[in-house]
Amino acid sequence: MNKVLFKVNIKSNYPIFLFITGMLLLYTTISVGMFDPVNAETTQAMLGMMPEAMVKAFGFDGLGTEMTGYLGNYLYGFIYLVFPMIFTVLVSNKLVAKHVDSGSMAYLLTTPHTRKNIALTQAIFLATSTFLILAINVCVALVMSGIMFPGELQIGPFINLNIITYLSLLVVSSIGFFFSCLFNDTKNSLAFGTAIPVFFVVIKMVSGISEDLSFLKFFTLYSLVDVNKILEGGSYIVFTSIGLLIASLVIYGISITIFDKKSLSV
Amino acid sequence: MIKIKNLTQTYPSGKGVFDVNFEVKQGEVFGYLGPNGAGKTTTIRNILGFSNADKGSVTINNKNTRLESAELQKIIGYLPGEMAFFDNMTGTEFLDFLCNMRGLKDFSKRNYLIEMFEFDPNSSIKKMSKGMKQKVGIVAAFMHDPQILVLDEPTSGLDPLMQNKFMKLILDEKKKGKTILMSSHIFEEVDRVCDRVGIIRDGKIVAIEKISDLKAMKKEVFTLKTSDANDYTLLSESELEVQKIDDTTFEVTMTKNYTHLFSVLAKCHITSFESKEQSLEDLFMKYYGKAVSNE
Repeated sequence: MNKVLFKVNIKSNYPIFLFITGMLLLYTTISVGMFDPVNAETTQAMLGMMPEAMVKAFGFDGLGTEMTGYLGNYLYGFIYLVFPMIFTVLVSNKLVAKHVDSGSMAYLLTTPHTRKNIALTQAIFLATSTFLILAINVCVALVMSGIMFPGELQIGPFINLNIITYLSLLVVSSIGFFFSCLFNDTKNSLAFGTAIPVFFVVIKMVSGISEDLSFLKFFTLYSLVDVNKILEGGSYIVFTSIGLLIASLVIYGISITIFDKKSLSV
Repeated sequence: MIKIKNLTQTYPSGKGVFDVNFEVKQGEVFGYLGPNGAGKTTTIRNILGFSNADKGSVTINNKNTRLESAELQKIIGYLPGEMAFFDNMTGTEFLDFLCNMRGLKDFSKRNYLIEMFEFDPNSSIKKMSKGMKQKVGIVAAFMHDPQILVLDEPTSGLDPLMQNKFMKLILDEKKKGKTILMSSHIFEEVDRVCDRVGIIRDGKIVAIEKISDLKAMKKEVFTLKTSDANDYTLLSESELEVQKIDDTTFEVTMTKNYTHLFSVLAKCHITSFESKEQSLEDLFMKYYGKAVSNE
């Protein structure tokens, strides 16, 4: 881990970090604010007016009248998966491939640090900044719901939901990072780094539309963010978390090794 | 010090470097010359440990530059041929960043260089001219006072005054016993500072010469026009080398000395007389171009 490089990453990535965190906060605060334990039926009725397929695609079909389920289905079926994903896609490309493409990697490699160390620093930056985006939102959601609707939100299950959401995003970030380390140009890095996460989201949406298409859920990582199953609790959470964590560590490890071994034309 | 052994690296395009061998000794200034695309930068990428060679290796102080890069970077200063800095940084921020990455606390050399090249590093690198960027690159390469300097086309973008200052800097560093490898196109540059020159063409080293030997090869060539087409006979019967451009325009290469040259020319009806600049490339084309095309 290289602190100097980490600081430079903060400096060059904070605008997008703030933008994504801000967008997510907008949704978080609106969703919490909109929750109305008495009139939850109104929301249901409103959703009933929209096409059923659309409601299902965004995962709004199981909102219920209980706050944790409401927030979980409203935010974690789409919004919390997509916005941080945009961040990981753009930033993972910037952290490695862009430096190689532009040639500025030459300056990083002519300082007395190993390639492994440089790649590891970039990976840690990506993982921690993605974590912060979620953490800030979770804190705001907890504080806001605690003030507005004391006792309504089940904190334990809500945290579990966020852990699995984060770990899924960690795997998505590792995929972006992998392509960023693999390719020497931003064109390919961005193309592959975007295509796979977008594929995950689209498949997740399509698989929710009808029973006939539900088999598609096996083709997307985001199926693991199964809100209702996570809120039920149990061993699903532990196994899914461990699986996601191992997957992301393996992909990050492979990415760093590829970067360490590859031939650079900078 | 820098030892390049059987270095081969082929790109998918078929270009690259093929079985390159040479050595730069401690305290030596080595000029690395060749036309664009000949393989200079590929060689330099291997010296810095960026690229994986297909065959062969580069070692500095017996350490493999690809495998022990991080360790070696402590004693190397590098000036890339194409500057690529970090976005949205000023020159000062960029230099600070590199100093911090190197753990460099002593800014005396850096300040000295900024003063020497008379520039203000406080503006955004994006908005800098090519020459300004080059100056930032030069400061970045020299500021940690490295023992070895690898400079890819170091004077490109600099105006003649600054080129002159840069040459002085190289001579100063040479006096301090630094080992320097620089690629260049300009004869005067190489002539002034280099001890030896390596010439690469189409990925192969075609010659490694002492600069003094190379100088001896440089010939005086003159282009002249006459009013009398018969002068050609006169010139070709002399001991000068004559090449006919058209009926009354000839290229004459001096073979003995000026007295001999002018005594011959005095007999001709000359209307125009010009000394022809002989670039280093002309020289190589003449002396090595043939040898290469035969291969």
